Amino acid sequence: MTKDGKMIFPLNEGLYTLPSLPDEKTQLIGSKCTNCGELFFPKKDKGLCIHCQQITLEEVKLSRQGKIASFTIVLQPPSGGFYHGPVPYAYGYVDLPEGVRIETQFTGDFNTLEIGGDVELVIEKLYEDAEGNEFVTYKFKPLKD
Amino acid sequence: MRPLNEMREVTIGGIGITKWGFYENAEWYDFGSEAILAALKDAEMEWKDVQAAFCGSVYQGTGSGHQAIKEIGLTGIPIINVENACSSCASAFRLAYQMVAAEIYDIVLAVGMEKMPRGPIPSTAFRPWELKLGFNVQPANYANIAVQYMKNTGATMEDFSLVTIKNRRHGTLNPNARFQKPVTLEEVMNSRLVAIPLRLLHCCPLADGAAAFILCSKDKLKSKHKVITVAASTLTSGVYGEGYPPADLIPSLKYPPAMTLSELSAKQAYEVAGCGPADIDVVQAYDTMAPAELWDLEELGFCKPGEAPHLLREGVFDLNGKIPVNTDGGLMSRGHPLGATAGGQIYEIVLQLRGQAGLRQVKDAKVGLAHAMGAGPNSAVTILKR
Repeated sequence: MTKDGKMIFPLNEGLYTLPSLPDEKTQLIGSKCTNCGELFFPKKDKGLCIHCQQITLEEVKLSRQGKIASFTIVLQPPSGGFYHGPVPYAYGYVDLPEGVRIETQFTGDFNTLEIGGDVELVIEKLYEDAEGNEFVTYKFKPLKD
Repeated sequence: MRPLNEMREVTIGGIGITKWGFYENAEWYDFGSEAILAALKDAEMEWKDVQAAFCGSVYQGTGSGHQAIKEIGLTGIPIINVENACSSCASAFRLAYQMVAAEIYDIVLAVGMEKMPRGPIPSTAFRPWELKLGFNVQPANYANIAVQYMKNTGATMEDFSLVTIKNRRHGTLNPNARFQKPVTLEEVMNSRLVAIPLRLLHCCPLADGAAAFILCSKDKLKSKHKVITVAASTLTSGVYGEGYPPADLIPSLKYPPAMTLSELSAKQAYEVAGCGPADIDVVQAYDTMAPAELWDLEELGFCKPGEAPHLLREGVFDLNGKIPVNTDGGLMSRGHPLGATAGGQIYEIVLQLRGQAGLRQVKDAKVGLAHAMGAGPNSAVTILKR
């Protein structure tokens, strides 16, 4: 619950942890294969590793910082009517140190986006609906120098 | 498994195409039946000679091939509808080829046809959580590859623009292309930004249209055209660990593939055809986005990784260059009717090998290669010889 009785909802359930203690920080939730070591984001609910085809996946919390592998800034709304966030928006890929690539929107100053640049996980509003309810998502934000 | 190159030789009996563009008062079955009738005429065959039909389309729904064939007349032959995204027509062509090679039938039709939905193309590759985050913008997914390509090779925006300019220049000589006017560097670089760094004129236009082929055993050939044989027709789907954002594939950092799906389909094709990139006289590469043509030529083995921009600037891929690429204007000029696109590419190779390409004829072309890929992912390589 936020001010004026407005609600905050995650845009998608199950992609990141919801800290219950003040010192805890949000982390993305992925899957790790105990057989071959492969990592996936988002976590795979069926538990099947699509690399080695064993049902050997376990849930893992992923690093909060990584490096930009690529990015683009989109200047037209996506088709289909599923996306309600702002346009332009930036999205691309972030490599985490444990060896998994994450598809993500970026936030902060788009002018500071660069391949190889350091970024950190944030949880941020994507949009508000007509009643003022907020829908939030994970994003990555460039770390300041 | 019996190797295809040890099976019966398959030839191109006839080819047909429609003029590609936007048609508000015609449907896919109109384009499809028009292309089929053109192919029959070119083959100098009768409709009743055709023993089976493979019909490629993406957006037309159930039994789309049956609807096109109903326009010509039902004859009881098996009709198989093939939906394989942008490789649909190449996949239909491959099935027809295999049927003739395996001596199951002697004369088989392959057709690709499409009336495109208007506006940006919807894709089934993206999951609901990704749609809500706006990850389904295809020019943006290509932009994500393009920025990595620029970083790795030093390619510039001007290089990408030069692909559009070359293909649109070639398209001026193709009366079946949607766009037959050239564009300047200034026009490309000043066109609307779609997904940084890509602009509107780096994206291929859409179109409605169809292309059709009669494939047959050599003894069934009737026309006096030069004899064109199918040297290879390969199809690969995705390989584990390859990143391909347009099909929502994120690369594995732990288990990268030894070969990309394009490299794999090319390798298989060269093996079956008994030739290599150096033997190819004319190429139809996959230029759905301008930069994609560059890495496509590298993955098909026509040059080393990162060399394509430099060779493009030298004119190697021009109509009169050493390796003419997209001689009919490519997707950039033809437009992109998904289920028919690969058919447009194969049609052009046949014209070039027959010596019927008119003002855009590549001198003495004997071996040609067409590459279609896209969502799925799929990668289809067709090599024809005369």
